[in-house]
Order: sequence, then C-alpha cells, then structure tokens
Amino acid sequence: MRSSCKGRWAWLTALFVANALAQSLPERLQLCDACHGPGGISATAGTPSLAGQPPIFLENQLVLLREGVREVPQMAAAVQGLKDAEIRLIARHYGAQKPAAPQGTPDPALMGRGAALALKLRCASCHEADYRGREQMPRLAAQREEYLEYAMNGYRRYTRKGGDTLMAAALYGVSDAEVRALAHFLANHR
Amino acid sequence: MKRTLLAAALLAAMTVYAQPPAWQQGKPPAMADSKLAPLAGRNTETPASEIPIGKVKLPKGFAVEIWATGMPGGRAMARGDSGKIYMGTRGLGRVYEVTDEGGRRTSRVVVDKLTQPAGVAMHGGSLYVMAIDKVLRYDGIEKNPDVQPVDLTDRFNLPPQQHHNWKYIAFGPDGKLYVPFGAPCNICEPPPEYAQIRRYNADGSGMEVIARGVRNTQGFTWHPRTKQLWFTDHGRDWMGDKGPEDELNRISKAGLNFGYPYCHAKGVLDADFKKKDGCKGVTLPVTTMGPHAAVMGVIFYTGSMFPKEYQNTMFIARKGSWNRTVKFGFDVANVRPSKDGRKATVKRFMTGFLEDAKAGKFWGRPAYLLQMPDGSMLVSDEQLGAIYRVSYAKK
Repeated sequence: MRSSCKGRWAWLTALFVANALAQSLPERLQLCDACHGPGGISATAGTPSLAGQPPIFLENQLVLLREGVREVPQMAAAVQGLKDAEIRLIARHYGAQKPAAPQGTPDPALMGRGAALALKLRCASCHEADYRGREQMPRLAAQREEYLEYAMNGYRRYTRKGGDTLMAAALYGVSDAEVRALAHFLANHR
Repeated sequence: MKRTLLAAALLAAMTVYAQPPAWQQGKPPAMADSKLAPLAGRNTETPASEIPIGKVKLPKGFAVEIWATGMPGGRAMARGDSGKIYMGTRGLGRVYEVTDEGGRRTSRVVVDKLTQPAGVAMHGGSLYVMAIDKVLRYDGIEKNPDVQPVDLTDRFNLPPQQHHNWKYIAFGPDGKLYVPFGAPCNICEPPPEYAQIRRYNADGSGMEVIARGVRNTQGFTWHPRTKQLWFTDHGRDWMGDKGPEDELNRISKAGLNFGYPYCHAKGVLDADFKKKDGCKGVTLPVTTMGPHAAVMGVIFYTGSMFPKEYQNTMFIARKGSWNRTVKFGFDVANVRPSKDGRKATVKRFMTGFLEDAKAGKFWGRPAYLLQMPDGSMLVSDEQLGAIYRVSYAKK
C-alpha cells in the first residue's frame, strides 16, 4: 500500500523542519526515497528519478534548490539547512544507484520523431550517446516522461533558473510538440 | 514533381530547424560526434585544505597564497574604498562581500536568487550589480550592510536573450558605466541590440553604443596613460582546435567594428557566415590570445610591488578552453603592448591549474584580477570559489 507522495508532503515537511539538524545521512536518504522512490527510482508523476544521475549534476541542483534559485516548493523544506558536505554525500549516493529502466509503452511514431530530433539537436554530444549524462549534464535515459517535458519547458521559458543559458539556447525555436516527442523518446530510451 | 516534393520537404526541415541551438550553431558535420561540452562548475564551497595551491607556478621571486575561499562561482571582483571586495557569480545567482579582518577573510551573501549577476562595480561609494535581467545599486553598502537596493533595471533597456548576456561591467575614467551585450549564440547574425559594448551614465541615461562586432567580452580596462579601453573577446566555437583565437582589442575611438560574425581573430573569415571582403573595415585585435582560451579579466599593472618590467604591462586571466580536444589556457598571462599599442607579446605568468591538457584534467580556472593597494594581485578562481593573492619579494 503506497500513499501518494503529495499526501505525505505535509508530514514530510514537518519532519524535515523538526529534524533538519538531527538527521543522519541514512535518515535523510530515507526521506528523499519517500518521494523519489526506493533507490531514487521515481514512480511519482512530476518527481524525477535520481538514480544514476551524475553526482556533480545532483550536487549543483541541490544547492540551487536550497538557495531558492530553482524554485520548487516541494523541495524547499527538504533541502533547508543542508550543508554543502551533506549535499555532496547525497549526490554521491544517488549517483551510485542503478538507474531506472524505461517504464512506459513506447509509441513507435513518436519515438521516431524524438530520435530524429535528438540527433538533429545533438543532445548526445553533451548527454552521451546512451543519454546517461555526465558531469553537470543530467541523465536523460529513462527519466520520467512528464518530468523531462516539464524540465525542458522550464529552460525554454526561462522559468528554471540557475542553470547555464545553454539549454535555453539549445532548445531555442523547438516547438511544444517537438518537446513532447523528445521527452517520449528519452523516457523510453534503452 | 519529385523535385517539388523534395524541395517542400527541405523547406519544411529548414523551417523546423531555422533556429538551431545557439551555442552549437556552426557545428560542422565533421564534428557532429564531438563530445566537447562546456566544463562543469561547482556550486559548493571548497575548504582551503582542498585547494592544491602548491601546484601553482610563478616566475622567480613571486609567491601565491589562498587569500579567501568559500565563495562558490565567484568571478569578477570590485573593491570598495574601505577594502571590502564584491564578487559576482553566474548560475548560483549570488553576490558576495568579502571582508578582510586583519589577516583573515570572511564573506557574506549580499543578494541572491538573481539571474547570473556576474557584473559588479563600485562607483562613488555605491555597489552596482548587473544580472542578465536586472540592475541594482546599493548606496553606501560598505558602511551600511543592510542597505536596500535601488532598482535601476528600467533605465538600462536590457534585451531578452540570455546566452552570452551575463555581464562584466566597469566604470571608465569618464565616469560612465561600460556594459557588454554579447551575441546570443555561438555564431549568428546578431539582432541589432547584441554583439556590442555600450556605455551609460551612472543613472542609466545617455546610452551610446561604442563598439560593434564584439562576440562576447568578459573583461576590459583602461590604459593608465592613454585612457583607451582595452577588452578581451572570446572567439567562436566549432571551427576546430586551432581557433579562431580569442582576442585582445583596443578601442582607439568610438564606433569601431570588431568583426563578428564575419571576421575573427587576425582576419580569419567565418566558416558559416561568409561575406565577400568580410574583414574589410574591421579593426583587428592588438594580439590574439590563443584558441578557445576563454580570456576573462584584464588589468594594467601600476603597483610598486612587482619588478619594474611589469609596470604598465597587462595581466589577463584565461579561464581555459572547453571547445578544444587538447585543453588550452587555465592560466594568467602577462601581456606587454608595444609603445604605440598596435601589437603585444603574450607570456604565460601564472600556471599549474591545468594538470593534463590531453585528458582535460584541471583543478582551477583563473577568471578575474584585482590590483591591491600594496601592489599585490588578487586572482579569482571561479572553479573553486576562491581568491588567491600573488605577491613579490626581492630575493
């Protein structure tokens, strides 16, 4: 029996705030897993998988979330008071987890369009040929589809702050339908 | 019929990809599989014990120390009259204030959550902060740390594109604020408000475009005697390991064209934007600064601590290349202009940050320079969020 992450958000927030200073790393990780899934493989819409993400990417994003540069209300309490050293440990932990396998059912036509776009936009030149990511550039393969779409739209519309301007530049002129095709392709990429 | 269909398909394809990723524009098919990508920065603090300062190499008689650390992403530095140093950042969105407390430095965050507040300048006791989409002024901040900023954004008419539009800013000897507006792409025909250097009155009025054809300048300063403006400029990407090289330019008068996007370095024609006589009427650089070097901060040295040969010569930080298979830069160069300012020699001065050029292994990236009243020179390391102090002692 799994209650929804959303439902647990209120008590998680309370727990985070109460224990912000007293938590050990395993306790912290348990709380991360509560929303991001066991081992960082998310089964929750809108919540990204963390497993197998490059540690530098996770580290930098956690700092941006802590500082409120990236504004994600669900994360605000979770990262409040985290020290840089703790962030590094959390990033290392999820970086070492076995990444998710694709969860959806691929639509062949959409997969084809997404694959062609990814090639044209040269996504692999930074995110690697298998889209596993590297350094500050995240793993895209088997990330949740709706999350990929949300993230790309954040770059396009300048609502996701703290990143380089490169992703906004990389997605310049790409349409909504194309973003959907890219997200579908990457989420189902094997 | 077949041809019409083909043409229609081509046209459709061109429409879809009319605006390819800006920073990859111009990536030729031969480099399609290249894995070169911008180098990762860090948002976390680096303790002094994790900075391998002993690896820095300097000419004989010079010494280096870690002067301050704990300012992730810190880059351009502006010094106030009381000695406080203000530092801008890019992605992290912070501006730091570094205070020297007699042999020990502390830092605090003046403002955060801005969109790449790279530009910081002190003028008349006020701190000016320029982000991609915001201009703030903190009056008397050194004495009043909690002063609320005056928002000057509306006066500066900042254009919407973000790429290459984080700022280096500085006040000139004329009391005006100099602000670059980079090309919003790797290589493109820039819209009219980009690829230029402008100057404004301190309150944002009286805007003038003083140079065009400038791709992405991240550092400039004025010659101590001639008062002419010298600026560094980043060359375009994806034309190979050899360049086109970054530039060091001199503005002898307002209104000059420095070549972008048609003419790069010392007369290299662009591979994508071809124009007959593309370098005609273009002011070529005083010297080139190396391929993809990422030339950043620049100062003329006028202090009394360094040997006389350095007097009125330039120091230029080269943050180091990403768009190159064998890495280049990651150092501070000493540049000595000729008397007429038409040419210059470039010699590496502060090195050791790049450990393996072929493997791309480095630990630090020198970004900006500041001459201190005692004649020593501060060097910011954007990679580790630290400031190093270079001094000279007669041996």
